[in-house]
Amino acid sequence: MQVRLHVQRSDPVTGETRLQLFELELPREATLLDCLEQIKDEVDGTLAFRRSCREGICGSCAVRIDGRTALACRTPVAELVAEGHAPTIAPIGNLPVVRDLVVEMEPMWQKMRAVEPFLRPGPDCGLDGRETPIPSARLDAVRKESLCINCGACVSECDAMTVSPEFLGPHALVKAWRLVGDPRDDAVAPRLKGLSGEHGIWECTRCYLCNERCPKGVDPRDAIAKLGAEAIAARIDRDRGARHAKWFVTSARTTGWLRESELVVRTLGLAFSFAKIPLALRLFRRGKAPLPLPRHRARDLAPARELRHIVAGQDRRGALGIVQGERALERIDFICSPEQPVGEDEP
Amino acid sequence: MRRIAYYKGCLAGLSARELDVSTRALAPKLGLELVELESVTCCGAGDIQMADPDYALHLNARILAEAEHAGSGTILTVCNVCTLNLRQAAWQLGNDEQLRSRVNENLERSGARPYSGGVEVTHLLWLIARGEGLERLKEIAVRKLDGLRVAPFYGCQLLRPSKLMGFEDPDRPTSLETVIEACGGEPVDYPAKTRCCGFPILLAREQTSLAELARPLEQALEAGAEAMVTSCPLCHLSLDAWQKSLERTLGRKLGLPIFHLSQLLALAAGLEPARLEFSRHAVSLGPVLARLESPLEGGR
Amino acid sequence: MYGPEDVESSHDVLVIGAGCAGMRAAIEAHDAGADVALVSKLHPTRSHSGAARGGINAALGNAGEDSPERHAADTVKGSDYLGDQDAIELFCAEAPGDIYQLERWGALFDRDDEGRLAQRAFGGAGAPRTVHAADVSGHVLLQVLYEQLLAREIRVYEEYFAWRLVVGATGCDGVLAWDLARGGVRALAAKAVILATGGSGRVYCGSTNAHACTGDGMAMALRAGLPLEDLEFVQFHPTTLVPSGLLVTEAVRGEGGLLLNAKGERFMRRYAPEAMELASRDVVARAEQTEIDEGRDVNGSLLLDMRHFGREKMIERFHGTRDLALTYAGIDPLEQPIPVRPGAHYHMGGVATDVDGRSEIENVFAAGEVACVSLHGANRLGGNSLMETIVFGRRAGRAAAEQALKRSGSAGLAPSARVDGERELARLLERHQGERPSRIRDELGASMHENFGVFREEGGMRRQLELLENLRERYRHVLVDDRGEIFNSDLVQALELGYQLDLAVCMVSAGLERRESRGAHSRPKDFPARDDENFLKHSLVRWSNDWLDLSWKPVTITKWQPQRRTY
Repeated sequence: MQVRLHVQRSDPVTGETRLQLFELELPREATLLDCLEQIKDEVDGTLAFRRSCREGICGSCAVRIDGRTALACRTPVAELVAEGHAPTIAPIGNLPVVRDLVVEMEPMWQKMRAVEPFLRPGPDCGLDGRETPIPSARLDAVRKESLCINCGACVSECDAMTVSPEFLGPHALVKAWRLVGDPRDDAVAPRLKGLSGEHGIWECTRCYLCNERCPKGVDPRDAIAKLGAEAIAARIDRDRGARHAKWFVTSARTTGWLRESELVVRTLGLAFSFAKIPLALRLFRRGKAPLPLPRHRARDLAPARELRHIVAGQDRRGALGIVQGERALERIDFICSPEQPVGEDEP
Repeated sequence: MRRIAYYKGCLAGLSARELDVSTRALAPKLGLELVELESVTCCGAGDIQMADPDYALHLNARILAEAEHAGSGTILTVCNVCTLNLRQAAWQLGNDEQLRSRVNENLERSGARPYSGGVEVTHLLWLIARGEGLERLKEIAVRKLDGLRVAPFYGCQLLRPSKLMGFEDPDRPTSLETVIEACGGEPVDYPAKTRCCGFPILLAREQTSLAELARPLEQALEAGAEAMVTSCPLCHLSLDAWQKSLERTLGRKLGLPIFHLSQLLALAAGLEPARLEFSRHAVSLGPVLARLESPLEGGR
Repeated sequence: MYGPEDVESSHDVLVIGAGCAGMRAAIEAHDAGADVALVSKLHPTRSHSGAARGGINAALGNAGEDSPERHAADTVKGSDYLGDQDAIELFCAEAPGDIYQLERWGALFDRDDEGRLAQRAFGGAGAPRTVHAADVSGHVLLQVLYEQLLAREIRVYEEYFAWRLVVGATGCDGVLAWDLARGGVRALAAKAVILATGGSGRVYCGSTNAHACTGDGMAMALRAGLPLEDLEFVQFHPTTLVPSGLLVTEAVRGEGGLLLNAKGERFMRRYAPEAMELASRDVVARAEQTEIDEGRDVNGSLLLDMRHFGREKMIERFHGTRDLALTYAGIDPLEQPIPVRPGAHYHMGGVATDVDGRSEIENVFAAGEVACVSLHGANRLGGNSLMETIVFGRRAGRAAAEQALKRSGSAGLAPSARVDGERELARLLERHQGERPSRIRDELGASMHENFGVFREEGGMRRQLELLENLRERYRHVLVDDRGEIFNSDLVQALELGYQLDLAVCMVSAGLERRESRGAHSRPKDFPARDDENFLKHSLVRWSNDWLDLSWKPVTITKWQPQRRTY
């Protein structure tokens, strides 16, 4: 199989960047990593990239292929070069480039360290030298997150990190949930408080690029939602993001639909809302900011109110409400093949 | 006429009323009879999914059950966020009997109808971007947009997570482009069309949000767009209503008019602009409409 | 970007390699009061320990009656009586405590219905004693140990390629390392050094091992004058995917996967008529190799057939395997059988140590796959290697810390050591003509597979030694393309190749001298039987003055006298 690749090269000293075209001959089943290896072995030994396990476990070889981040070792090259396409291989994003396809991972590790990524076992967790039984189901909450291989694919394209580099980001927040959600951890409240800062849980913009790119199905966005759910359940909910989220619950319970006109005040608090008055007036003139009254009410509202009451008394509070849906979501990966898109709906 | 359950979501009943109005005006042209679901609530908007995820699942289950009761196997949405939340719930309830029976028990206790599974959730864009829907669109698009340079904006949640959405390649989508072309417009390409508009944290983290918002608007203008079209009223709120605030942050004028998808379609289908409530937009569509109304002098 | 420039630094204990054994050792040395640092050519969580799937053995008795004694008996038998029984007994006795500690550190093991640690049955074990985390047991351990490293703020020299032990009159003074990220030679002084660099599987082509498994620690020890023990014993896994060598899980055979030869025949019928495909690893690997040697192969492979599983079972239970075959062989196992062959998987041999990881040089220690305690003897049982990293990592960490803390003053390296190292690398980097390492590496891998694979015999091994001499000669003129400082992985790969060539010579030499068949060392043509009279002993290879020296040392036997090994 003929393979043509553009690889982004960068000089580690001058920082100069260019694309270099490589033309290779590889077996049909070759992966992108095989291509990079062949370049290094036979064409140009100066090409720098990381790799080790070649089976998607070590997390070394994430790169961007025509913009989308993936592990080179998990990417069969045949589909990339179909119809003579010559894909562009570049280093992952949101991290400084060291050389060619190698980036500096330290900023990512720093954020991981910032969440104190180790268990703080509680007193009822048993003593050293003895076993403490824990119901399997209680550990289900963190199983997905425990699969993270630190490859940085989620960080590479996180939209919020691109514009706000201090955002903790999906990788660190996954690790945070791995511990917050662990029934053996005894530091949940301080952890959640720490994670509710300016660049924590509530700075995620829900672009879902992390879920889309994660090669291990960790679904970092869902982990961030779990952190939010636990923070609110623990009443660590002073952050604007938490208040914003809670207002939707109040709205659904009281009117069925969002009480949009009050959202600003509920999120920002009264004092800060004054700053938004010019915007509100501008929108009001356009009919964009509905008057507080009469409210937009759903018909047959009782069940919405009642449901809230019912679920509050059941054992699916906080993140468990998300965890319960994971069993079904796990099945998607292999039931939907690309040939049969789930969204097809012919009118 | 195809009867289809129509879930308009919160915003189309509130600040984005023009979206609801245009969708209703457009529907007959597309051969759709919209059955409005009324005994339903907010889908959770991703917010209840964080504040009280179990409650969010139940609210979505109720919406699905109402669609089922209305005799429609499909729910039509006009919002990215509603589409994702409903599709996620539909998948979870459809593929986990244990979960569904628990949720149904609660629904019945609350006085709502149970959901038996199998309702398909689709977005207006998906209905018209392929197959018969597209053919129909081509037939009804009588007022050609005269090569209007329109930037498609997909946003996030109609594309991702693709394992739940799956309609098209989340990185190289073509549906909006197809639709723009079918309406006689010229799609403008730019990298941020599949990126985030920042809406979900607009109030909570304004700076971060506006920094995200700047990218599609600036890039689309750079690429020569005269207008933008979006499939999501939440994105629309960012792109349109907050554009002025962004202009102040950036210190430059943008002035890019933003269509709701339904408006663009309805316009192409020859509906009177007055019926589409363009006056409600923050960024005026005046110049664009003026050009379309006098195509001969439009002079491109 | 990388913090202060550390051309020279000094610690009580330096651990080379940051997989499970290395991290466990560093944690223990830290807890024993030593100033400890890790040196690793990879970020710790990139280490190959993470690829271990099955689990970790300890006689907890949660899933059926079990005891450390039974665990030990199984391990002794599995080792074909070559394992040192004092080490095995100690290992089995301490394993349960280590499991509970890992659990307390946050390891996410699977649970049984009562919430206790679940245990599954593994090959060669008389009781279900393998604790596991789905099929990512190694990954889970690697993460939890890294977390504990961070909790202690233990220094890691990340992406430093350690390539020389500096040994002086009073023992080892530290190591020289090539700083991959910034370029340059670093001198890291230490009062004690622990080698934990893992295995050497990359000596073979078609190995299940990661690219990083180049036997660095064994070769460094060898060059420092230390003996390597039982190097001839390499475990071959019967189902590795062709051509990549990636492991196809044993569960495929467990669930009814069939092994077929070119004639479509279930050949296991002739080798293990009762157990068939479910016979033990070495038996299946030998059967496959016989089929290949006798020409009933399909382009060097046998076929693993799972088509009869049907779509449902394939997708529910073997999604990962199907994905592996699709991604790496371009084959859908629903439609076609998968090509497999035996592939190098684990090196039982390594740096000779006692039960505290101590080598012949009193302040050099080794733990994990790089070491030979000897726990595995001639054949390793599944689930024992992860446990080995923990038990012996811990013991080596403790002993090294004690050793270091006994030494007064601070560690230091003679400046000449670094200057010599720099000069040596400069010579390599200045060379402008020669052969690229990849051809030598590929020939090494293919020839080792051919001549020192599942079966060995005198002629093949002699041919291999000649060939290795030739490869080593070519390596003297190896050409490094990359002359840059920053992230020069080309240089590192060339250095690794040098290690691999040295090791291969030792392995084959030891194999030649072991004139018997025992465990993974199988010589059906010239010495088909085990020979306890002459070879119930460990081989020891040393390299001195460019001369290989082979000697033997006795096996420690406590309770279990050698018997015929049948299952």
